[in-house]
Amino acid sequence: MRGAKSAKWVVGAVIVALAATACGGDNKDDKPAGAGKAGGTFSLGLVEPVSIDPVNAQESEGILVTDNLFTGLYEPTADGKVIPALATSKTVSDDGKTWTFKIKPGTKFTNGEIVNAEAFIRGWTRLAAKDSASDVATPNVGGIDGFEALQKGTATTFSGLSAPDENTIQVKLTTPDFEFDVKTTHTSMSPVPKVAGAGKNQAYNDAPIGNGPFKMSGKWEHNKSITLVRNDDYGLTKAHLDTVKISILNSANASNLEYQGFQSGQFDWARMPTAQLTSAKAKYTAQNEWIQADTSGMNYLLPITENGPLKTAKARQAISYAIDRDAIIAGVFQGMQTKSTTILPPSFKDVYQKDLCVSCIKQDKDKAKSLAAEAGLKPGDELHIGFNTGGGHEEWVQAVVQQIKDVLGLNVKMDAKPFKELLAAQQAPGATGAYRFAWGADYPTPDNFLFPLLDSKSINKDASGKVQGDNRGRYNNPAFDALVEKARSTKDSAARNEVYKQAEKLAMDDQALIPLWNRTQFRLVNTKKFTGGAMDFHEDPNLAEISAK
Amino acid sequence: MGRYVVRRLGQLVVVVLGATMILFACLFVLPGDPVGSIGGDKARDPAVVKELRAKYGLDDPLVVQYVHYVEKLGKGDLGEDYTQGRSVNEILQPKLVNTAKLAVTAIVFDVILGLSVGVLAAMRRYSVWDVSVTFLTTLAVGVPSIVIGMILQRFFVVELGWFPLISDGSFNSMVLPAVTLAIIDAALVAQIARSTMLEVLRADYVKTAVAKGLPRRTILVRHIMRNSVIPVITYLGISFGGLLGGALITETIFNWDGIGLALITAIQSQNNPIIVGVVTYSVAVFILLNLIVDLLYAALDPRIRLS
Repeated sequence: MRGAKSAKWVVGAVIVALAATACGGDNKDDKPAGAGKAGGTFSLGLVEPVSIDPVNAQESEGILVTDNLFTGLYEPTADGKVIPALATSKTVSDDGKTWTFKIKPGTKFTNGEIVNAEAFIRGWTRLAAKDSASDVATPNVGGIDGFEALQKGTATTFSGLSAPDENTIQVKLTTPDFEFDVKTTHTSMSPVPKVAGAGKNQAYNDAPIGNGPFKMSGKWEHNKSITLVRNDDYGLTKAHLDTVKISILNSANASNLEYQGFQSGQFDWARMPTAQLTSAKAKYTAQNEWIQADTSGMNYLLPITENGPLKTAKARQAISYAIDRDAIIAGVFQGMQTKSTTILPPSFKDVYQKDLCVSCIKQDKDKAKSLAAEAGLKPGDELHIGFNTGGGHEEWVQAVVQQIKDVLGLNVKMDAKPFKELLAAQQAPGATGAYRFAWGADYPTPDNFLFPLLDSKSINKDASGKVQGDNRGRYNNPAFDALVEKARSTKDSAARNEVYKQAEKLAMDDQALIPLWNRTQFRLVNTKKFTGGAMDFHEDPNLAEISAK
Repeated sequence: MGRYVVRRLGQLVVVVLGATMILFACLFVLPGDPVGSIGGDKARDPAVVKELRAKYGLDDPLVVQYVHYVEKLGKGDLGEDYTQGRSVNEILQPKLVNTAKLAVTAIVFDVILGLSVGVLAAMRRYSVWDVSVTFLTTLAVGVPSIVIGMILQRFFVVELGWFPLISDGSFNSMVLPAVTLAIIDAALVAQIARSTMLEVLRADYVKTAVAKGLPRRTILVRHIMRNSVIPVITYLGISFGGLLGGALITETIFNWDGIGLALITAIQSQNNPIIVGVVTYSVAVFILLNLIVDLLYAALDPRIRLS
């Protein structure tokens, strides 16, 4: 359940070309980014990853490592495009159920084994196997024929996967998916060598052998360090850096240690404690070491649309109009966030429709009041807003609550809960009001937002009425569902994007979600020693493109 | 003496059982689901959750879970942690060594710095040195170790670059965390050493020794130091218990891979086996250290009889 989730899990990022140019631009040798000389050790700090084996790679920490150890069919660019990696061609049948990928012949794993179609099938089968108990299997390979049997443990091979020849992978899906190729950008879809064995192979889990631009040097020293070195036999464009030294930091103090480490010269890349952002920005912008980007994570207020005070679109619009996002950004966030006016992130350039959420553009007290009156929301009515403690949300939720109280006179109840209890409260039958909510992209496709968050199939109630899917707002609009289904079955990507745009507009007109701000990320990168450093799609440094000056 | 040691070790068993029982009961009533800590914050497939709960015996009543735990504990097995699926012993033992390194360095620092400063202050009573020692030690005791740690880190790591930020196991990387851990205790040791020393200086046996014309050195070492060190040792024995509390903060600030840090991480992810494991180890270590202190006590002062 990735929604409503803290920073760690929210994956996905865009970096504006700006960042890359900003970092490389000051290069006295005037070399283009990434074209520097080979060599150098790049150091950074991370929190202990969940897994560095693709079989369970899920958060940006683990993905940073697996992405550099493995190369799959396609990869996402920082600005949300999908480009080929090992794939040389893709074809999809007209019914959207059969995909055929050709892969670049002759590339190798670092143990010398050839990367062929079998290696991909091995990796995907391993991902789906019951014993692997992977958290990322269902979203990535769940659509492939034979997944159920593997998950149940009644099969050991993937009936939907075959290799007509050494370098061709054929995929049969149970339902049409014209964006299956996008899913292969996820690092869990990497090929693995024979030595990987079953998913729970401790030796391999701690020192994966891959086919990426880097390879492990030694094994994962839990809670201590991970060291990567350049893979000189890499089958695509080789990396420049000799070594990447990752120190594992404790989560209670990580951002502080990263920032101190950057200042003392021990780290070449850092995230920062929120409290230091303003001073760090001033200091490091001047030195050309500041990176800032709106990533593909979004923050919303999640209205429960099924029952309660926010049942009608007008009531939800009234709430949206009552919020002064600009004031909160200036006050609470010290100007370090960007207002959001869409459901989809700005990084999805092909579908981004700026200012689609009319009620988000500017606070309008009169409109808020008249819409509330039309919706039957009266001063004194109770509205419940839930959020999780410990995530740094108290201040802005407080501000939102105060604004709604001031403008509409509602009796707003702020309900702080530990994260797990918040999720349970959202899911519980009879939940009402609104919740703090965030969502980050796993893949660069609108479907990754629209389907899980808003399609009625994603409500998925169990017998007790508890919501099991990610559509926690219980938004249910058959016209919207039809558009998502239409988009999914549209082969042409441009035409498909148009349908997604219509779907987003429909949900926005219904105010199915109340957008607040984009996920803006900040990093420091050492431009005195390195060139080409920028954030990738997962908000991690693009290690394969960084080079020493 | 032998019987005394055996009886104290018997107490150890009782206290470990008591501590784990209380902790078990506390963790049991805590809201949230420990299974949630497996695989981070994600809500999981109900079937998987059911399976995991069964695997770790979380559906059993509290008493049954506790009895199972004690059965295993008897064999020296602290169970398996929830997040990595590794044995708690295997995870905690290297961390315990790391924390011990830090604690021993801190204690050595306490003794050397605290004793010498305190003794010197007492010998030059009301001198500038004495007054500044009193002032500085009072100040040090009043500042929380998190502040001391962060100031040391800021100054010696970021500004001066004398020490590494991230520990690499070298002595150099141990200096700042050990100093942070020790500074408050060292200040207290100095204060205790000073006051007991002043008392001893006025004692009749010291006067007798002076009257007998013993050499000054002999009086200082054999009569004064030996007697003033007893309260310091008592204090150090007790302060070992406090070291774990200090380690929580110090290890977090300096990213020191010890049991304090393990405990913080485990609490955040509701990784109960680790929490109970750390406490079990700490209680055992604390009791053993106190036993050693008591034995030392008897050795230093023959008037104290152990029975």
